[in-house]
Amino acid sequence: MLGLIVRRFFQLLILLIGISLIVFMSMHLAPGDPAAIIGGPTASESDMEAIREDLGLNKPVLVQYFDYMKGVVQGDLGYSYQTNQAVTAAIITRFPNTFNLAIASMIVAVVIGVIAGIISAIKQNSWFDLSSTTIALAGISIPNFWLGSMLILVFSVTLGWLPVGGLNAPFYTLEGMKQLILPAITLGTASAAMIARMSRSTMLEVVRSDYIRTARAKGVKEKSVIWLHALRNAMIPVITVIGVNFGSLLGGTIITEQVFAINGIGRLMIDGIASRDFPVVQGTVLLVAALFVIVNLIVDIVYAMVDPRISYE
Amino acid sequence: MNNKMKVFLFILLSVVLVTGCSNPSNSDNASENGEKAQEITYASTSDVVGLSPIDTNDSVSNNMIKQIYETLFTRNPETMEIEPLLAESYENPDKNTWVIKLKEGITFHDGTDFNAKAVKYTFDQFVDPDRAAPRASLLEPIKSVEVKDKYTVVIHTKYPYGALLAALSHQNAAIVSPQADKEGDLNKNPVGTGPFVFEEWVQGDHVTLKGNPDYWQGQPKLETVTLKVVPEYSTAVSMLETGEVDFIDGLPSEQLSRIQSIENAEIQKQAGTPVYYLGFNMEKEPFNDLAFRQAIAHALNTDVYVEQLNGLGIQNDSIVGPKVFGYKEEAKDAGYDYDPEKAEQMLKDNGYADQEITLLAANTGSYLKMAEIVQAQLSEIGLNVNIEQMEWGTFLDTTREGNFEITFMGWTNSTGDGSELLYPNLHSDNIGGSNRLRYNNEEFDQLVDESRTNVNEDERLESIHKANMIAIEDAVMIPMNHGVVSAAYLDDVKGLKIDATGQWKLYSVSRE
Repeated sequence: MLGLIVRRFFQLLILLIGISLIVFMSMHLAPGDPAAIIGGPTASESDMEAIREDLGLNKPVLVQYFDYMKGVVQGDLGYSYQTNQAVTAAIITRFPNTFNLAIASMIVAVVIGVIAGIISAIKQNSWFDLSSTTIALAGISIPNFWLGSMLILVFSVTLGWLPVGGLNAPFYTLEGMKQLILPAITLGTASAAMIARMSRSTMLEVVRSDYIRTARAKGVKEKSVIWLHALRNAMIPVITVIGVNFGSLLGGTIITEQVFAINGIGRLMIDGIASRDFPVVQGTVLLVAALFVIVNLIVDIVYAMVDPRISYE
Repeated sequence: MNNKMKVFLFILLSVVLVTGCSNPSNSDNASENGEKAQEITYASTSDVVGLSPIDTNDSVSNNMIKQIYETLFTRNPETMEIEPLLAESYENPDKNTWVIKLKEGITFHDGTDFNAKAVKYTFDQFVDPDRAAPRASLLEPIKSVEVKDKYTVVIHTKYPYGALLAALSHQNAAIVSPQADKEGDLNKNPVGTGPFVFEEWVQGDHVTLKGNPDYWQGQPKLETVTLKVVPEYSTAVSMLETGEVDFIDGLPSEQLSRIQSIENAEIQKQAGTPVYYLGFNMEKEPFNDLAFRQAIAHALNTDVYVEQLNGLGIQNDSIVGPKVFGYKEEAKDAGYDYDPEKAEQMLKDNGYADQEITLLAANTGSYLKMAEIVQAQLSEIGLNVNIEQMEWGTFLDTTREGNFEITFMGWTNSTGDGSELLYPNLHSDNIGGSNRLRYNNEEFDQLVDESRTNVNEDERLESIHKANMIAIEDAVMIPMNHGVVSAAYLDDVKGLKIDATGQWKLYSVSRE
């Protein structure tokens, strides 16, 4: 296991260097001048020249890259061109929001997805199976911004049960939980649908396998057959789906954060791109890439825990 | 299995009930003794960039800066006349010298004295190249600032500068506490003389201000002012509906009917200073040919576009809008009448029939809508019209480099002075910079120069008007609409007044 972690760590380093180079170059080569955006349409050429000089944008791109990487190695992700705030600080303020939202939506997704998937599998072709597969299809197809807006209209504007947006109360308070419900459902729906479909099909496969037939023949109770014997093996592909989904949720979910006015990583990144705030974009992309790799590592470790046949020694 | 499902359903239901029974946050406006809490929350689609007037140049930051800091002069929102604010009076011993007497007894929020030294410090910082103030060009005509006595400053300009008072009324020229600026970062810890004191800024989420009990004009009624970042406009409208925010502005025309349907919300609309226009690249063929531009002007029926704005726009042929200094009624219909047949004939006569043209539109605001309507109208006279969409940052670059044929832009006229519209946008000094249309007309330049270097207001008005008429006749930019500034707020918000530039001050606002 330790070998796996060390190996992954080196892979992560190489990956991050590659990503930083690609992002840095593509941001600098893409059209759009940070100085023009900071100066606004009213800025004169001399205003913008002064801003470029101030930000060091007049240096050759490669020199700028190495200057940047020197900082990164020391844990300094640079300063935002727009607000002059440290990028690390900007990430630290926003990450908890994204993290809480990701956890909450994964809870929604896993609880609904796994339960619906398993029931569908056990009661294949029943009305429950039919309706849950239909709903799952709809869940995957419905765009987030539409679902989010509809939830706001129904539960906030019409019924007045939940706040429209914002995520500033701590998640363990009632206010914080209320703020999390709608965005978590919005985000969790698509993942729930995916997980439901995945658990249904793997469960169907597993219940037809020999060892389940053996268990049943031995007279093990149906409940134990499903929840103890079958579920564990059916979960391997499901864990992969959960891992991938969770990784991308941690990277910030631009549309949901936008609709629910959540101050998260996704919005930090999209605002950074729009204002050509290179250090912010760099910093968030590196973070997202690192998180993705880490989540996948955790998924691999969980495999070994769930399925004793998998070993990394 | 069934039992487990029951338990699960029970938990789910109880969660829904618990959250459903407690009241949502909109009822916490009333304090214990039944009086309304003097608080206001404003929803903004983007966050402030910073809170230093010297180091920022965007309208969102200005909305907050305007509550914290004050300028020497201010434009009266009713009359559009410039009046002293932190200044007491001024005189011009000669055309290059402005002696400004300051009000006495005003202190900054940090307790330091507002005086001539603070004014000098602010303006010196503003034009210091090392500071790289984004709007440094605003005070570029200032040669030096001299402290005559404790409460008198003398501003020497490089040349007679007529729009100086308008520039000094601009929010970016607000006076900052020198001590606060030297000791910290004004962007994060702003210190001014205004009615509200900075409390907190959680980047990307909110800015909070508190009423200044020592404000020199008397304590404001509002105790707390919050700017809440709500990037999605329709979410902001929902929040207004539920009372999570009290006030939104810059209403988009497509949301107007929904906002009007909110029972306890009021809408304020008035003619404003912004202008949105179609512009030609004057260095490209055939757009540099007056006959071609005239044909296009004849083909455009801007009334059709203005109707789409549901009352949030005004049609007027003048480039300098009716609320901007330099406008004269004569300019209103000075443009080219809608006459598609004449337009088609002109194209044929000049060999431009079937000409292929590309409209460049930024994918923000109403620019795409403008492009679509113009595309339809120009297709009717036989032109082959394409639309190219662009993201804002790329658009700014592309247009500055002159890589377009026809495009759409806007100008907010935040100083309310016509020379501050004509000089950056159309004067040949600024080709390659803010004169994106690359208009180069000596006679026009001369008139604009006159309007800038003259301190006589009547003569200035005349010069701006004449320059305006030349530009209209040259059909270099065709106004699509003049802006209507707007806001919507809950009906217990009293005393809110948006000015013609779309900005507002919360000093006299209260909740009743």
